[in-house]
Amino acid sequence: MDFDFPEDINNARKKAQEFARKEINSRMAKEYDRKEKFPEELRKKAFEQGLVDYTNPWSMLVTIEELCRADPGLGISATVSLFGAEVIMLFGSDAQKQKYLTQVQTGEKIMGLAVTEPGGGSDVAGIKTRAVEKDGKYILNGAKMFITNGTIADFFVMLIRTEEVEGKRHHGLSAFIVDSDLPGFSKNKLSGKLGVRATNTAELILDNVPVPKENLIGEPGKGFYYIMTFFNISRAYVAAQAIGIAQGALDRVLEHLNRLTKEGNTALAEEVQFLAADIATRIEASRLITYKAASYLFQFRPNPTLTSMAKAYASETATFAAEKALEITGYSGIMGDLERFFRDSKIMEIWEGTSEIEKLIISRNILKEYAEVA
Amino acid sequence: MSMEEQDLLRSAVKEFAQKSIQDRALKIEHEGIDSALLQSLAAQGFLGARIPEKYGGSGIDLHGYLTIINELATFSPSVSALVMLVNSVHAALIGDSEPEVMKKLATGEATVAVSFSDVLEGSWTATSLQKSGNGMKGAIQASTLHNSQYAIAFNREDGHLYLFRNGVKALEEDSGLSFRGLSNGPLEIDSTDFTVLSDRGLESLKNVVDSLDLEVAAIALGTAKGALDKAIDYVKVRKTFERPLKDYGPVGNGLSKLMAEYLALSSLLDTVDEKDERARLTLKVLSVDFAKRATKAALQYHGGYGYIEDTGVEKFYRDAMGLSILFQRPHHDTMRLSKEIFGEKSGYL
Repeated sequence: MDFDFPEDINNARKKAQEFARKEINSRMAKEYDRKEKFPEELRKKAFEQGLVDYTNPWSMLVTIEELCRADPGLGISATVSLFGAEVIMLFGSDAQKQKYLTQVQTGEKIMGLAVTEPGGGSDVAGIKTRAVEKDGKYILNGAKMFITNGTIADFFVMLIRTEEVEGKRHHGLSAFIVDSDLPGFSKNKLSGKLGVRATNTAELILDNVPVPKENLIGEPGKGFYYIMTFFNISRAYVAAQAIGIAQGALDRVLEHLNRLTKEGNTALAEEVQFLAADIATRIEASRLITYKAASYLFQFRPNPTLTSMAKAYASETATFAAEKALEITGYSGIMGDLERFFRDSKIMEIWEGTSEIEKLIISRNILKEYAEVA
Repeated sequence: MSMEEQDLLRSAVKEFAQKSIQDRALKIEHEGIDSALLQSLAAQGFLGARIPEKYGGSGIDLHGYLTIINELATFSPSVSALVMLVNSVHAALIGDSEPEVMKKLATGEATVAVSFSDVLEGSWTATSLQKSGNGMKGAIQASTLHNSQYAIAFNREDGHLYLFRNGVKALEEDSGLSFRGLSNGPLEIDSTDFTVLSDRGLESLKNVVDSLDLEVAAIALGTAKGALDKAIDYVKVRKTFERPLKDYGPVGNGLSKLMAEYLALSSLLDTVDEKDERARLTLKVLSVDFAKRATKAALQYHGGYGYIEDTGVEKFYRDAMGLSILFQRPHHDTMRLSKEIFGEKSGYL
């Protein structure tokens, strides 16, 4: 067993580190956070320099990690403009891939995934937004909430109810590609988020939006399955975001402790040393689970138990690391980057499946495995 | 103050907060505490709760005062912290030497910017004040209530703590992590009218921060309660998988345990003997830790809605963390507690 990455992945990590050093700094991160401004220039540069390439998933995983390590809000914004692309890649038609994916892969266009609805969240099967066939089109009505890239995306992959199936709520859901410039489509930017404020988040309103029939992805009624397959992929990338945040918090703790040592505090309190050790250990454990989950995933044999473990554990590591980092660094932490890391980290435990949902998936799967063996 | 009187006072504070703070809590976070609210707090006798009546304060006892800041924190930790600053920091540092300033503080006619950056743990920043002719000039990198008429700041050059009566200029506001309603930010001082409050300035500042044990505990518990109240209301009505969230074990039982912890700590706060240092420290250490856990859980139970400010729960999460850094010296407090437990210096390696 070899725990080292091959050279090309190590080079991708180095390239991302170099990009982060050159293009992301504290002052800039603070400004985008305060103004809740999407860093379009940074996103474009990331594409121009070849950092964003989801056809090479391992490179993407370590790139996300390194950019979020520099700053979570900017790092996510720079790498999230293909959010939902895997649904089209895996289940879309050749025409859909050609029309929609080509331009997001080059960074010319931005896309998003719209699943969550107002009052919804973990209960994906509880989708209320409806599509009704009329005059050769699907007419969409309803609303989507907390949608990443909400006001800047050119189109979205949306999960919509096309049929009521008695007693089987996850049936009757279909996935569509919905252009954001269609009549009846409106969006409201959500401001005042606790963190990742450079990312763009919105509520989408669909008022009789006419979607061409050819924008249905795959088969009608299979949307729930497509989206769950997607979550198995996206959760590995969210785990990478979380690892980046945790590592970024640890970097700043080590910088602080190093400065303390240099200034004559040669004997650091053991309580502080223990905390730093705990953060570092959790990060290493998060990496191992995430890379293992990714290794299954990228070989097209996903393991949902491992993916949920990676997402839940890495997310809780991110909030743990940011919280403990603030406790260790105290006043300088709260006046510097770490207060932002603290605010940013909390979303990791919420989006793409809350920690509670991940734990339910894990426990159901391990109980099922046990029952099968027994 | 008897328990019955404390209950009556709590009801009065709650009624005031529902009327004057609840609907403006978000505005307070964005724009700070305005003069109208300051005047209302003063008119109710909350602003100068501990300040002697001769200066226009209410002169009430410790438990009455703790009840006020505890209840205010359930609506706005920033407003609660303001009352704590006025009574336990500004008035404590200024004392009887400045009756006119004390009167203005108690009546809400003026506020005082104060910087703790020289004494807080983990601080690399320090104030840089210098004598300049008959005046004094310099910059203070961070202060609370930075848009005030007066300022209290430490001069590293001569070791004195000063009260500046003029030449206090607020620079660009930096909302920061927590207590955004207090208007935090850097100050520029160019003053010709100032008084020495203490010739052992650093020690005075440390002493005043360390004296806030019960106030910090009261704010921590109020902050936790504010978040828990919102979470309890939310999980009763919010459904997932067609059942209210409260029906799920980790949510319903998790919140119930946190409320039980809250009730236990609150009853300790209601009866604590202020001269009992061990009890004071115990309350502070446990309450601050509890507030961090409770506000985090409350936010999580709200899901994505907890992450946006409109819901009003994320500020409690930010403020609980800020409280543990901005108004206390946590490592020092733990050492104080260890000394109380072991009867000698302990836990310092």
